[in-house]
Amino acid sequence: MIDCDVHNDWATAEVLLPYLDPNFRDYIVRGELPGPRGAFPHAHRPWLHPEDFRRHDIRPKTQDDHYTLMKENLLDRYGHEVAILTGEEALEASTLANPHYATALVRAYNDWLVDYWLPKDKRFKGSIIVAAQDPAGAASEIRRLGDHPDLVQVLLSSGSYRPFGDQLYHPIWEAANEVGLPLAIHLGGQGGINYNPIGCGPTTYYWETHALLCQPGMSHVASVIANGIFEKWPKMMFIVIECGIAWLPGLLWRLDANYKALRKETPWVKRLPSEYARDHIRLSTQPMENPANKEHLWAILDAIDGKNTLMFASDYPHWDFDDPTRLPIPPDWREHIFKLNAYQVYSRLQPKPDVTRSREPLAA
Amino acid sequence: MKVGLKAMKTYVICKTIDLPPGERKIVELDGKSVGVFNVEGEFYALLNYCPHAGGALCRGPVTGTALPTNEFKYVYGRAGRVLRCAWHGWEFDIPTGEALVDPKIKAKKYRVTVENGDDVVLHV
Repeated sequence: MIDCDVHNDWATAEVLLPYLDPNFRDYIVRGELPGPRGAFPHAHRPWLHPEDFRRHDIRPKTQDDHYTLMKENLLDRYGHEVAILTGEEALEASTLANPHYATALVRAYNDWLVDYWLPKDKRFKGSIIVAAQDPAGAASEIRRLGDHPDLVQVLLSSGSYRPFGDQLYHPIWEAANEVGLPLAIHLGGQGGINYNPIGCGPTTYYWETHALLCQPGMSHVASVIANGIFEKWPKMMFIVIECGIAWLPGLLWRLDANYKALRKETPWVKRLPSEYARDHIRLSTQPMENPANKEHLWAILDAIDGKNTLMFASDYPHWDFDDPTRLPIPPDWREHIFKLNAYQVYSRLQPKPDVTRSREPLAA
Repeated sequence: MKVGLKAMKTYVICKTIDLPPGERKIVELDGKSVGVFNVEGEFYALLNYCPHAGGALCRGPVTGTALPTNEFKYVYGRAGRVLRCAWHGWEFDIPTGEALVDPKIKAKKYRVTVENGDDVVLHV
């Protein structure tokens, strides 16, 4: 007998290390892998961080370490009042072909979030993660958990099959509106069935790609405005997390100019795109653009009323973490960006008593 | 402990045998966190504070890196001399404290000597 196909597997892909070019040994030993140490780097997304996307000083060994390290290195260190949890890998369910499997996975994650994480710390609030390739399943998941007082937003990966204003996704918006939650997108889902997140084809290296993470954010912003999401659901807020911010003014200038000439293409859109953005779209700060001359950044952010439309995010514990003590924003915007804007958008957060007073104009 | 010129203090960190090549030791002294490194038998010390963004510099991996090249190929070098900041991953040359991406950016360095035969002594 001649058997023409017999698989000779490894216990760990690290058996390749002695044979591998030393430059790429580091990628296997320390870099991002689509599984535990020893996993082979197949492209669950095509861009793997060569040194792992997590900070090297945050190395949880047990499940409970994830919380204790976060408490020490983030919550207590910086004096957080609220930390909105956005999960980690659960967002990647959006990359799976089987929508039933994807929804089952995020349901399991959401229940674990409620059971395990939320009771751990009074500062925790959660996000209902849903799988956008299953709009009906996503909508029912939003309705299933939508009245939980500590779940403050619906969360999708920025990687998607279509831009999120598309009518395909309106059942998700409808459900979020019904339970009174904002809808957020977070960088992720950049592989599998989702559309390539980089225009003109996939870029090659991790860092060049990461700088282009704004591209899906830009597409979703244009899409939700052009598809009239905020006319259909006038109380809806759309939150763009980890997609950068300095691109927004230029995009809105372009959208406004085009709309003025071609509004007939979208007669359900009644106002200028920039007006919808001002009232309904909020961006998280991280990874904050940080030019040598802060005035360059501040002039741009002023064009989108950044004082009132940006919300601080650290992205802990990732490699591009923003330290709240070093955020390059104008001093008189701090109270808004670090607290007040989030209280306004996340209606389920309970402001502490002093917040009402601090809404008064701040001294320059 | 002895106090020298410029009010510099010296601390015996450990014996040389306790800090073999490739290893590091992070010590807390007078409110300062300092990493002491053995690179191929030579001892160096850097402040555990990254000049980029204040991160935990000395808790990152000690490694090599891809050397600058003029064509599309990887040449691995500086093995054991490169410290990557634990937060954002900036690379620093341990002996000089200079950032690889811009040598004008320098991690704070301290002198390390070996005294009495095998005491690793940090001058802060």
